[in-house]
Amino acid sequence: MDINLWSLKSGDRCEILGYDNTLDEKYRVRLMEFGFHPGESVSCLQSLAFGAPKVYRVSNTVFSLDDEVASHVLVRITPPHE
Amino acid sequence: MSKVLLIGSPNSGKSLLFNRLTGLHHKVANFPGITVDVSTGRLQDLPGMELIDFPGTYSLQAISADERVAVDYFERSLDDDEVSHVLCVVDATRLEKSLYFTLQVIRESARHGKPVTVLANMMDVLESHKLSLDVEQLAQALQAPVLPVSGRSGKGLKAVVGALKGEQVLPATWATGQSLEVPDEQLRITAHQLAQRFGTRGDVLIRNQTRLDGIFLHSLAGGFAFFFIMYLLFQSIFTWAAPLMDAVEYVLGTVANWVVPMIGNQTARDFTSDALFGGIGAFLVFVPQIFILTFVIGLLEDSGYMARAALICHKPLRLFGLTGKSFIPMLSGVACAIPAIYAARAIDSPRKRLLTYMAIPLMPCSARLPVYTLLIAAFIPATTGLGGLVGWQGLAMFAIYFFGMFCGLLVTALVSRTSKDHYNDLPFVLELPPYRLPSLKPLLRNCWNRSKHFVTKAGKIIFAVTVGVWVLGYFPNFGADLGTSWLGHLGHFIEPLFAPLGLDWRYGVAILSSFLAREVFVGTLGTIFGIESADEQMAPLVQHIQNSDMALGSGIALLVFFAIALQCISTLAILSKESGSSSLAVKMFAGYFLFAYAAAVAVYQFTGLFT
Repeated sequence: MDINLWSLKSGDRCEILGYDNTLDEKYRVRLMEFGFHPGESVSCLQSLAFGAPKVYRVSNTVFSLDDEVASHVLVRITPPHE
Repeated sequence: MSKVLLIGSPNSGKSLLFNRLTGLHHKVANFPGITVDVSTGRLQDLPGMELIDFPGTYSLQAISADERVAVDYFERSLDDDEVSHVLCVVDATRLEKSLYFTLQVIRESARHGKPVTVLANMMDVLESHKLSLDVEQLAQALQAPVLPVSGRSGKGLKAVVGALKGEQVLPATWATGQSLEVPDEQLRITAHQLAQRFGTRGDVLIRNQTRLDGIFLHSLAGGFAFFFIMYLLFQSIFTWAAPLMDAVEYVLGTVANWVVPMIGNQTARDFTSDALFGGIGAFLVFVPQIFILTFVIGLLEDSGYMARAALICHKPLRLFGLTGKSFIPMLSGVACAIPAIYAARAIDSPRKRLLTYMAIPLMPCSARLPVYTLLIAAFIPATTGLGGLVGWQGLAMFAIYFFGMFCGLLVTALVSRTSKDHYNDLPFVLELPPYRLPSLKPLLRNCWNRSKHFVTKAGKIIFAVTVGVWVLGYFPNFGADLGTSWLGHLGHFIEPLFAPLGLDWRYGVAILSSFLAREVFVGTLGTIFGIESADEQMAPLVQHIQNSDMALGSGIALLVFFAIALQCISTLAILSKESGSSSLAVKMFAGYFLFAYAAAVAVYQFTGLFT
């Protein structure tokens, strides 16, 4: 099932599938620059309380995204053994 | 003079490299209205070469006005015949973040016939983790020389100087033009492939970062750490800066006491004492606050904590159209709006920075405190309620502080919902840089530059207005009586304006003079009522106001007026300089005056229904 990046919990890993059509083009550009490419592996390092932005790791860089952005990034949860 | 451009993505350690190469002897120029700084300095080992440090950017595809200015300036610089070379800094520990931008820089530079050398920075970090980077292979893949360097230790910089000394040639593929038309999309794919090939694997590089984030972003421990750090920041501008501000006043007072008696002419003496020294003091007194706040914010930024603080505050502030990065400027605004406006530079989204500018003047700054103290002492009984649990004066002080903050958030919420300037907005995608120990020298240099910017840019305006208000209050009776001065006449003239608040001309004059600084209201009122040193000893003035039969509604209306109105020339001057728009300062002054006036009239009329 396709889900979005925002729905990840702390410790979850996923593969980016793409972006939904409602995401602003410039936001998509910025995400790509940061390494959120389709096919890239992303892990959720921290999911904070009260809906605060979550912390994600892409390669060796750590980013924080809020739901306005992360909910537009379509992902596939990667099982731990992959 | 030959010029070298230094460019790189944020958090790549570019500024440290720049400082190393120029030996900190550089000047900073900033574009009006945006936070883009361009530093220039001569290379220490090659005095005939000038190094131009561009602001960190993630790509040459600008997505906001700030980025557009920076990118345009870079592209224009490539046209400059004096530019001989481009140095592009990449973070060797996180190549995936820098390579797309690096390929764009190489392509654009090649289009202008400028050779690029890539500086793989932070090699010391890689080495400390027993990791390496194959710079020769990377250079081959990028078709540009790659030099391993460390901005922190200075290792590898001799090779950079050597490369700049030597004759620069474009790699064959660039020189023949065959790679010049590669589209961005292809560069992105190539960068991704190169990052996969050359980037470090495993979590060894971010292990410490993850561990510290476990504390600083923890629901409980992170909350405590946040409040403690913000407490220290608040203390730094409220308490630690106070002795330095007193020292500035003391030095100016001492010099004035020495100079003024030497002047024979009374008017010249009064001018020197009150306008000249008063005018200089009016802006110099803020320098310690600006210096200290810039230092503390620099510590937070360079250590990596600033990004974490922004993350923690983001969600609640987003409700009001702001970002997590707005929190520190707004908190600083509770001490003083001037350093707070400088602090708003850290906000990368121009739209959110503008909204933060709008909120800052409504934060209950320390200059409002004497006004609040006077009016609350005069109108609110010093008694307690609820069995001694609640002091009414304390409650009133809390209420008026809260009211200011509420108004600030209300304004930003309304403006963000009615204005749809999305071009100047940026998404909340925040890089959390590794925790690092800040370097002291560049930090102090930045504090010095910021203080100098304030004195040279805003100081002139503050000084001119101070002198102007002095002239209005001094002439035509040569300081004999404020009531019959031009300022007094102006007070009489605008009396009808303040009549709906139940105030007479004397309060009008005090409000006009408080345009210099809000606390001047107390001293001016004291002068009009013939009470000496009212700003230091308020009790006689409080008694005078209480005996004057002024209505409670007028007192509350004045409190409301001062909570909202932006009658502070220093704030307006720095707002105009930082936003690059004097019209913004004028609009905010007029808008907040109307808002303050309407709210004050409403309060006075409403309270009149019950008395």
